Amino acid sequence: MSHDGHHSIVIPAPGPEFVPHTVAHHFDSPVQEFQACKLGFWLFLATEILLFGGLFAAYFYFHEAYPETFRLGGQQLNWKLGAVNTTVLLLSSWTMAMGVRSAQTSQKKATILFCWLTVLGAAIFMGIKFVEYKAKYEHGFLPLFGGFEVADWFKDTHHVMKDVPHGHMFFAIYFTMTAIHGLHVLIGAGLILWIIKGASKGRFHAGYYLPVDLVGLYWHLVDLIWIFLFPLLYLVP
Amino acid sequence: MSSHPDTAHAHAAHAHAAHGHGEGHHHVASAGLFLKVLIALLFLTGITVGASRVDFGSANMLIAMLIACVKASLVIAIFMHVWWDTAINKIMFLGSFLFLSLLFAFTLADQATRSWDGPISVQRAPVAEQWHHPALADKKP
Amino acid sequence: MTTHTPHVDVHSGAHTGTTNYLNNTSGFMSWAGTLDHKRIGLMYLIGVSMAFLAGGIFALLVRLHLWSPDGALFTNEAYNQIFTLHGAFMVFLFVIPAIPASLGNMVLPLMLGAKDVALPRLNLLSFYLWVTGAALAMYSILAGGFDTGWTFYAPYSLYTNQAVISIGLGIFILGFSSIFTGLNFIVTTHKLRAPGLTWFRMPLFVWAIYATSILQVLATPVLGITVALVALERTYHIGIFDPRLGGDPVLFEHFFWFYSHPAVYIMVLPAFGIISECVSVHSRKPLFGYKMIAFSSLAIAIISFLVWGHHMFTSGQSTYAMFAFSFLTFFVAIPTAIKEFSWVATVWKGSIDLNSPMLYTLAFLIIFAIGGLTGVILGVLNVDIHLHDTYYVVAHFHYVMMGSISLAFFAGLHHWWPKMFGVMYNESLAKLACAIIFIGFNATFIPQFIMGSRGMPRRYAEYAAEYQPFHQASTIGAMILGCGVALMFGYLLASLFAGKKAMQNQWGGVTLDWMTPTPPPLENFHQTPVWRGEVYDYSTLDLRSTQTPVS
Repeated sequence: MSHDGHHSIVIPAPGPEFVPHTVAHHFDSPVQEFQACKLGFWLFLATEILLFGGLFAAYFYFHEAYPETFRLGGQQLNWKLGAVNTTVLLLSSWTMAMGVRSAQTSQKKATILFCWLTVLGAAIFMGIKFVEYKAKYEHGFLPLFGGFEVADWFKDTHHVMKDVPHGHMFFAIYFTMTAIHGLHVLIGAGLILWIIKGASKGRFHAGYYLPVDLVGLYWHLVDLIWIFLFPLLYLVP
Repeated sequence: MSSHPDTAHAHAAHAHAAHGHGEGHHHVASAGLFLKVLIALLFLTGITVGASRVDFGSANMLIAMLIACVKASLVIAIFMHVWWDTAINKIMFLGSFLFLSLLFAFTLADQATRSWDGPISVQRAPVAEQWHHPALADKKP
Repeated sequence: MTTHTPHVDVHSGAHTGTTNYLNNTSGFMSWAGTLDHKRIGLMYLIGVSMAFLAGGIFALLVRLHLWSPDGALFTNEAYNQIFTLHGAFMVFLFVIPAIPASLGNMVLPLMLGAKDVALPRLNLLSFYLWVTGAALAMYSILAGGFDTGWTFYAPYSLYTNQAVISIGLGIFILGFSSIFTGLNFIVTTHKLRAPGLTWFRMPLFVWAIYATSILQVLATPVLGITVALVALERTYHIGIFDPRLGGDPVLFEHFFWFYSHPAVYIMVLPAFGIISECVSVHSRKPLFGYKMIAFSSLAIAIISFLVWGHHMFTSGQSTYAMFAFSFLTFFVAIPTAIKEFSWVATVWKGSIDLNSPMLYTLAFLIIFAIGGLTGVILGVLNVDIHLHDTYYVVAHFHYVMMGSISLAFFAGLHHWWPKMFGVMYNESLAKLACAIIFIGFNATFIPQFIMGSRGMPRRYAEYAAEYQPFHQASTIGAMILGCGVALMFGYLLASLFAGKKAMQNQWGGVTLDWMTPTPPPLENFHQTPVWRGEVYDYSTLDLRSTQTPVS
């Protein structure tokens, strides 16, 4: 048999509103394709854990070194907004889980609806984050405009951090962690929009829902990291 | 001689149409379970805030992290389906936390023991005061 | 005719004609957009070879500069940039991707009986990430260069007035290239093995690449976040690594070495894999201690995460952490020695074919023994305080990185060259080049051990006159080494145009990579092979049936 004569494996669509899925040519079966891609994605999530892990290690390191700075810094954040954002992310994690479940059970409309709700959660989260960042900017805590000295961004307009050593340290950690987390929220929202596009075309159903599953995992990881960020940053222990 | 691939593929596709992804071992969690997990997560968020109001002394961090770990475990096990996932996927993802703990353990142990054998304090790195880069010379007051 | 061995069902052979992965399609896009692991591996091979040549030229410039105690060629600032470029190019652009991304990409799916790697698009993406990283490294040179050393230690890297951010971004991107390659190989090994090819029937090259991949996936993200933090420090002065602002440069070193120590094994484990293949095939014996070698790869991967602090014995790290790190460092020697002894035991009483891949392999065994044992000496806490940042350290890691890894890379290149291209290089020149490289290498670095133990610090542009004889000997050695490498690339390239046809199974290997046609066709195997019997079982191979010339 010649190599270009092989037959593609096609997963049939469960209904007229769906489209079939063709298994990539180098896989021997749909199961192999599903498991390979999923294992690959879990490994990618493992790299995300290690990436954020470095930041968490830095947090614990400096929390140990400057406990008063961190306690006072944490009090400058609005914990109520943080709690609202936690709730929003947990709800969006639930809608995402339900979206994956809807895809697994070939419920096209529900898949799209739950994905939109998740995007809505991401939008609310980023909106609240913007409000918080704006307030911090007005207090002179936001490292937005670089300079040659820390004083170029850490102005501490209301002199609340003047009695603790290296008052900027908490905000450096806070903004680095939340900015990289926020970047992940945006990437996740973009991926979910891509899922919505595919779902509208009927690409995802009980026979093939792999991309929904993987994007869902990514979104849960974003939630997972926030679960730790909320108590560490807003309610500094 | 292995079986003819065409036959094998046709069979796989057929089995697939009947049982989902061929082997039928993809778990669909019940909507009720997801709802229960959501309620538990929101409840635990309340506990997190409540616990932060009580001073447990040096155990504050431990308690906050324990609650966060319970929440994280719920998300990982149920929302991320790890509970029903294959062994290799569990090992790969959960193993990353093991390696992360090595980074934490040695780095923080270094910090914690650095002041045991001398005057060098953790609060201040040894070169903090003296170090001075020539490029900064004109910027210093 | 089909080549057919009793224990493997593989349909291959000449009857399909002369179509192979090199000529089945043509045109620029058929390469630039290819998803074929062999073409991607070949593009990587070209890329890493160019990076190696660039890094090698920087090395020769460094050696020429050190001919005289006052520095023969450059200003001190230029010298700082050149040794930094040498280190950064060799580490990030050559050694880390060299074996896994080029030879691994080429051979791993063949060895597993797979049509391709599990995620071919990701494979192509990681190649382009490598190209982007290389382009950023080039840009950084044009933008003024960088003089931090390849380690980018804070606080100097936070303040030096050079292109640290662009090379940092380059390293971040190269890191993701490395992560995606590793991720791909783990998935491929788990999910795409041929039926019957169980874990303990896999060739040891696969085991080595698998262990490497675990390190790539788990360690590299920490490097990514570290260079990102350095970039933030330089732009916003957030202060995490900056002692002036309450930060701690030792934390930088923890983060950096959490990656870069495992990275040493990212570099060396694939080399171990090549050596395992070569000693077995060219001694025509199953590997002694197959399972021990397989497990020792995993053991090295895990232990490598526990010893990073031995790079920081003079950093101001806690004494108690240093005790622990020094103690744990010795454990690396156990699995490493298991490998070395197993290879020697494999060669013993084998029917050794002293061809060029085997000569490179034997050179590796000698050089790696020296590189490994001097590492144990450096792991001793109080000895290291004396030897830290001297030429002794430089010589030690060059014995491992240049001597061992590059020689293993050359061994692999000569071993699989006939497989990749269907042609043979000039064997006499190959033996000559191997001898020149071996002599040149030792001549370069033995003097460095001596002057290092006498206190010559590394990275200095000028030195006390008493070290001059050693430096001159080292420089002469480096020139000999350079000639050997140039000769090697010369005859390898010449073989592509004027080489003799290779055999279908040039060395009589019994792993699946030798069971496909030579060069392999687009999807490697016309039908998924079924593996029967044990690995490295030479008794079943009928040499006459496999050693037919490539058509």
